[in-house]
Amino acid sequence: MSESKDFNSSVHPDWCPGCGDFGLLTAFKKAFPILNLEPHQIMTVSGIGCSSNLPGFINTYGMHTLHGRALPIAQGFKLANHKMTVVAVGGDGDGYGIGVGHFVHAMRRNIDITYVVMNNSIYGLTTGQTSPTSALKMKTKSTPFGNPELPINPLTLALGSGCSFVARVYTGHVPQLIEVLKRAIQHQGFALVDTFSPCVTFNKLNTHEFYKQNVKDINQNGHDPSDIMAAFREATRTDYIATGILYQQERSCYEESERETLAEPIYRHRLGVSAEEAEKLVAEFI
Amino acid sequence: MTQVKDNIIVRIAGAAGDGIASSGEIFGKVCSRLGLHVMAYNSYQSAIRGGHVWLQLNVGSRKTLSHGEAPEVVVLLNKTSPLVHVPSVKKGGVVFYNSSNITEDLSKMRDDVTFYGVPFRELITEKGADMIMANIMLTGAVVQILGLNPQIGLDFIRDRFAKKQEEVIKLNQKIFQIGVDWAKQNAKSLDVVLKGDGKGRMFMTGNHAFGMGLLAHGLKFYAAYPMSPSTGVLHYLATKAKSHKIVVKQTEDEIAAVNFVIGAAHAGVRAATATSGGGFSLMVEGIGLAGMLEEPIVIINVQRGAPSTGIPTKQEQGDLNLMFGGSGDFARIVLAPKDMEDAFYTAGRALNLAEKYQTPVLILSDLFLSEHFQTVEPFQFDAVPIERGKIQESVNGGSYKRYLITEDGVSPRVLPGMPGAMYVSASDEHDESGVVISDVLAGLPSSLDIRNKIHTKRMKKLEVARAEDMRLPTLTGPANAELTLMGWGSTYDAIEEACQLLREAGVSVNHLHFTDLYPLPVEGVLEILNSCREIIAVETNFSSQMVRLIRAETGFSIKRTVNRYDGEPFTGEDIFKRLQEVLAHV
Repeated sequence: MSESKDFNSSVHPDWCPGCGDFGLLTAFKKAFPILNLEPHQIMTVSGIGCSSNLPGFINTYGMHTLHGRALPIAQGFKLANHKMTVVAVGGDGDGYGIGVGHFVHAMRRNIDITYVVMNNSIYGLTTGQTSPTSALKMKTKSTPFGNPELPINPLTLALGSGCSFVARVYTGHVPQLIEVLKRAIQHQGFALVDTFSPCVTFNKLNTHEFYKQNVKDINQNGHDPSDIMAAFREATRTDYIATGILYQQERSCYEESERETLAEPIYRHRLGVSAEEAEKLVAEFI
Repeated sequence: MTQVKDNIIVRIAGAAGDGIASSGEIFGKVCSRLGLHVMAYNSYQSAIRGGHVWLQLNVGSRKTLSHGEAPEVVVLLNKTSPLVHVPSVKKGGVVFYNSSNITEDLSKMRDDVTFYGVPFRELITEKGADMIMANIMLTGAVVQILGLNPQIGLDFIRDRFAKKQEEVIKLNQKIFQIGVDWAKQNAKSLDVVLKGDGKGRMFMTGNHAFGMGLLAHGLKFYAAYPMSPSTGVLHYLATKAKSHKIVVKQTEDEIAAVNFVIGAAHAGVRAATATSGGGFSLMVEGIGLAGMLEEPIVIINVQRGAPSTGIPTKQEQGDLNLMFGGSGDFARIVLAPKDMEDAFYTAGRALNLAEKYQTPVLILSDLFLSEHFQTVEPFQFDAVPIERGKIQESVNGGSYKRYLITEDGVSPRVLPGMPGAMYVSASDEHDESGVVISDVLAGLPSSLDIRNKIHTKRMKKLEVARAEDMRLPTLTGPANAELTLMGWGSTYDAIEEACQLLREAGVSVNHLHFTDLYPLPVEGVLEILNSCREIIAVETNFSSQMVRLIRAETGFSIKRTVNRYDGEPFTGEDIFKRLQEVLAHV
């Protein structure tokens, strides 16, 4: 049985004091023991950005990779060792900007991984430029006269891309985050958890205060997560910001289509071909 | 004494969709099953219908080294083909054409060529027979005039259409037989003795050889995005995914493909991808990541013609410079197999080297090697034993360092999932444990030292590979020849053929050929280069990229070059002609 402290890393997070990402780190450390997961059973894959430093701050197997490429790497890893729990993490620039192509395809592909986006609506590590989720007209270093582009709604994008688990949580609400992470990891298929993770240094709009005042846990008041149209409605509300599990669909994950090949994780397979198999391969060309 | 002619060049031409490939396959398989040697080259365009395509097969009792230049037996299937091909028929050659489709009198075009109009419509009474099957009939006629056993053709048609209904098989056999009978009555046998040795050989492409080579040497994971002329590897492996329990994944783009492969390699499986230059350009970022994370990945780059999207269906050796792309210095190995057998073994070697050095191994192929059909000698499936390099099976209590500094620069790998050995592989610069030194520690005196040590460790792999694994170029022919033709990769056979022609013309020549391109075993290479009297580099590119690499790595300068970059591959005859021009300028 693992405990929360087993997931402590010897490396201290280099995030700014008050950064929303701390909430997610705490929630991971609490959710893994609840799921009876040991540190060696988890692979945490990240891209590049402040939030993508997370694998260094948690004691699991980890990969800190390229900007926007966490998902392809996490999916390749999962198919090669599907017995491990694979969690991909990153920021909004990473997942909804440079990596948005991979994001869309990962959702329709439905490989059994959990993707947690620490969405702060700003580029933090590069010191404050507009992000794909920055509000219209938001002033940043790269848009001093206001952001002229509409922000992406990651939830409707996910719902429209065949994502089988769509959730959103504010990282200040750790108990809710733990519950959603638990359900996301348990979900068989691709699970998106978009988290509001405020940047206390470069974003003066999407602050802790803003989210505390505006979010509402829709799982507390009868939202039906199997109803995709209800999920679309909640994802686009303007009177409050919906959090919780918006949508969950039970459908077979990608690995099911490779059931025979993946009966045993492929990294443990015998390698090469037998003499008999070789003869057969050759015969095809004679 | 006149030598008995023991090889013949056959060309089959028509519109895309006329069944050029299937007649080529039937004819090629008849030859290969008889134990003849075949080298076939397909000239086609990037169009599914309507392009003009032709397949040229050089068939011989002995190994044929190129697809040859002027064809001696030509099959024409559509109306535009006479104008394109009749002028290039060798004097004394024969032309078979479908006279139900090509109605003009071709004999006016050349008087030194024999024309046989085969009246497909008149000969056919069978229900279901369509003009599209003229290719089968004309193939039967060619088999007959070359004195090959038609029964082999009938047998192959049965094998080829095994999944179709019996009527379809019978109809195709009937049409083939009509072609055989027509030629028996109407055409003169050719003055050629094609004598096979009875050893049925595989008739395949380089992409098949790469695919089979990867499979035979432990590949478990293949991800790719379709791009000509590399897609054959994906197609081949996809048919083997279920039977051999490998994961074959078409991804959303090449960036995803290489990163899927990196993820799989990190888990401990042998993983590879193939692409062409444009896709490789997208993969460069991932290759750098694999260099930094020290992941064993194999990438086959099948070069096409010209820059950017270029000419997808043509040949060039223009991507050698690209193999050195990526930010910063990191270890990589570049191999360029010389022919199909070499492609099979190189695939195995690449998987081994990738795991031995935990770094990307790049294989350079090209359209010619990857897509032409050829008979190949049987592969030795146990010639390249699977060697997985340093994989650590346990950690004894103590802490595990993924990037432990070692003598040879290679740190033992623990495959993720082992209790007590958790580590992070980071693309940012890191210490031996994988902890990043790029952020708060960057520039601190202790970090400078770590940075030096860890970077030196990774680069050390190049020195070890250079000494232990990289093969010297081969020198064939007399060591003291007056002239040396230097090449690399797929041009091996064509240069050999050129050497034969040169020797027949009284030139003293040998052939220096590179397959292991980087890291070059510099001292050995220099010794060989210095032993050559006059070197001419032969490359299918504009800027002699191998000459440049040799100069960069060894300081040795090769002054004279033969370059071809129109998209067609070299033949011996072509190199021979081009050399006359180079030598005339001496």
